[in-house]
Order: sequence, then structure tokens, then C-alpha cells
Amino acid sequence: MSEPAPIVDASTPAGMLEGDLVKRARRGDLEAYDELVKRYQQRIYATIYHMTSNHEDANDIAQDSFIKAYSALKSFKGGSTFYTWLYRIAVNRTINFLKQRKNKHHFSLNDLDFNTENNPDLVALISDKTPVREVGLTELQKKLNEALMKLSEPHRMVVVLHDVQGQSHEEIAEIMDCNIGTVRSRLFYARQQLQGFLSEYAKLT
Amino acid sequence: MNQNEQNFDALKMLLKLKQHEVPPPGYYNNFSGQVISRIRAGEASYSQSMMERLQSEAPWLVNILRIFETRPGVIGGLATSLCLLLVLVVVFAEHSERAPKNLIAIAEPAAPTGNAVASLAPSPLVAATDNSNSGIVASTNPVTSLQPTATLFGQSGGSTLFQPAGFMQTAH
Repeated sequence: MSEPAPIVDASTPAGMLEGDLVKRARRGDLEAYDELVKRYQQRIYATIYHMTSNHEDANDIAQDSFIKAYSALKSFKGGSTFYTWLYRIAVNRTINFLKQRKNKHHFSLNDLDFNTENNPDLVALISDKTPVREVGLTELQKKLNEALMKLSEPHRMVVVLHDVQGQSHEEIAEIMDCNIGTVRSRLFYARQQLQGFLSEYAKLT
Repeated sequence: MNQNEQNFDALKMLLKLKQHEVPPPGYYNNFSGQVISRIRAGEASYSQSMMERLQSEAPWLVNILRIFETRPGVIGGLATSLCLLLVLVVVFAEHSERAPKNLIAIAEPAAPTGNAVASLAPSPLVAATDNSNSGIVASTNPVTSLQPTATLFGQSGGSTLFQPAGFMQTAH
């Protein structure tokens, strides 16, 4: 027997539509903006984290992105969804940060959750497709992050948004302000690169 | 291409591992609170930095503002004075807009002569006001010099207004 859906009061920020929350936040209502932050914090943080492979950096950039978005809310014309607009701010700040940091990667990886061990696909990948070296999930995680960091920022961003975050080509094109063809070609090139980097640790071909 | 897609399937499966990387427990519970705190702190420091900037760039203005804060009567008196000044300026402006009576009298229309040449005579206004300057002189007052007058053939044109221009050439 499934649990009944929680009743959400439409007059509270939690029950409001995104557009109404944005309108209220533009008038300086921090309670409304708090709700917007809560709605998108996981996706924004995760995207930045997968780009930087560093929890502290991701935390700082994610907070900065939300603060920047709040101060720039008056310039938000509504041409896209608030979510896409926010994502664009976060992506630009992340890419700027990585360009400044250049190649000085300092990993601060998050732990894998408990479900990882129970994910049959991942278990199969480890047991069946790692003939070259015996690697555990944690080591594979590290190698995967290292391989990702070898990609250029635009290529890494496309892989993260599509293959990790599950965004569509159209959404990525809008977020990255480029056409869909560019997204597709970047994705193909990035996957090829990753396959080459990871072939020693996992049988991907 | 199909081979590539199959290959990428394995890679995509491996990339799913990234989805299992999670931040420390409770991280998201505090995240929005930290963002809102920083926004509030930023707003407070912005207003504070504005006052500091004003203090360095225009200390006299800050002193005046402090006087107003400590003595509310001063700002009341200043506001009253400004209102009075505004009223005086308005009254004076209305008074000065009225044309002097003697100028209107000078600019009274000449009796229609029925002759076009009559209109070429020097304007009384110009003649009265300029006797010394040499060169071409024309009246520039659009109000006092626009006069109803006769047409070329002596017919009264009720709505016809024209500005007579007088030309006076002084011999050198």
C-alpha cells in the first residue's frame, strides 16, 4: 500500500509554481527564493561537482551561483525557464573557475552511496568487464574522475549534463548557448576520448 | 555507428557511477540556509559600504545627513524654505510671462491701406526700438507682431495673421 501524497498548501512557497516564486523573489521575498534554492540545489550542486571533482569548490560555486542569480533576478526576462537561466549562470561560473584554476586538479571526491554495491549494472561492469586490472568501485570512481578531468571544459560539460544528469540535447544547447549539432559532436568526441582513457580499467570496447 | 553506440552503452553505464557520488549527509539541509544568510549579509554590507564610500567621497554630505538625523527641526525648516522658494519662483515666472502693456500698444495693427506696399513699411516696433544699429533688422517677437490685417486686395481676412518685417538700411 503506497503512502498518500503529501498535501501541499498552494499559499505557502512550497506549494507555489516556479513563476510565482520568481515574481515574489524579484520583489525581494527571500522566503520565496529559499524555496527556489531548495528545488534546484541538488541538480546545480551535482553538475558543478561532476565538473570540478571537488566538493568544497562545488559548494562555493553553487552558493555563488545562487547568490549571483538572486542579484540578477531583475534582468531575468522570462525568455527561458528560471531553471535553464540558473543553470546557465552556474555553468558559466564553473567554466570560468576551471579556466582560472587551469590544470591544478585537486580531487575531493564524495563518497559513493550505499546503493552502488547493489547496482547490478555496476557490479557486472566490475566483475565482467575489468579483465586488465582488479579494481574496486572506489578506484574506478577515481579513474573515472581523472579521465573526465582530461577533457576540455565544454566536452566535459556535455558529458556531465547528458550522460550523468540526463539532460536532453535541446536543454544542453540552450544552457550552453550553442546549437544541437555542436552538442552532439562534442558528446561523440568526448565519449571517444573517455573510452580511450578508461580502456585500461574497464572493458568498454 | 551502431558499433559505436554499443560501445558507448558500456561507457554510459560506467558514467552512471557518478550518480552515486553523494555529498556528506545533511549537506542539502543547510545549503539553502547558507545561501540566504549570505544574501542577507551581502545586502547589509552593501548598504554599509555605500555609507563608507559616501564618507570618503563627500564627507560634507554625510555631515549634513547627520545634522538632519540629530535635529529634525532643521530638515523641517529647510523643507519649508524650499517650498517657499518654489512658490516665489512660480509667481515670479507667471508675472514675467505677461507682456508689458506699452509693447502691446506699440504693436497695435496699422490701419489697412489696401496697398501691399504698406505692409513693407518698417514695423513701428522695430523702428521704435532700433535707431542706431546698421544692417538688416527684423522683429523677432512672434506675439506682438502677429497682426490681423487686410489681404492684398483690401479684403478683410479674419483669420489671416502675418508678421510684418521691417528692413532698414542705414547709410554708412
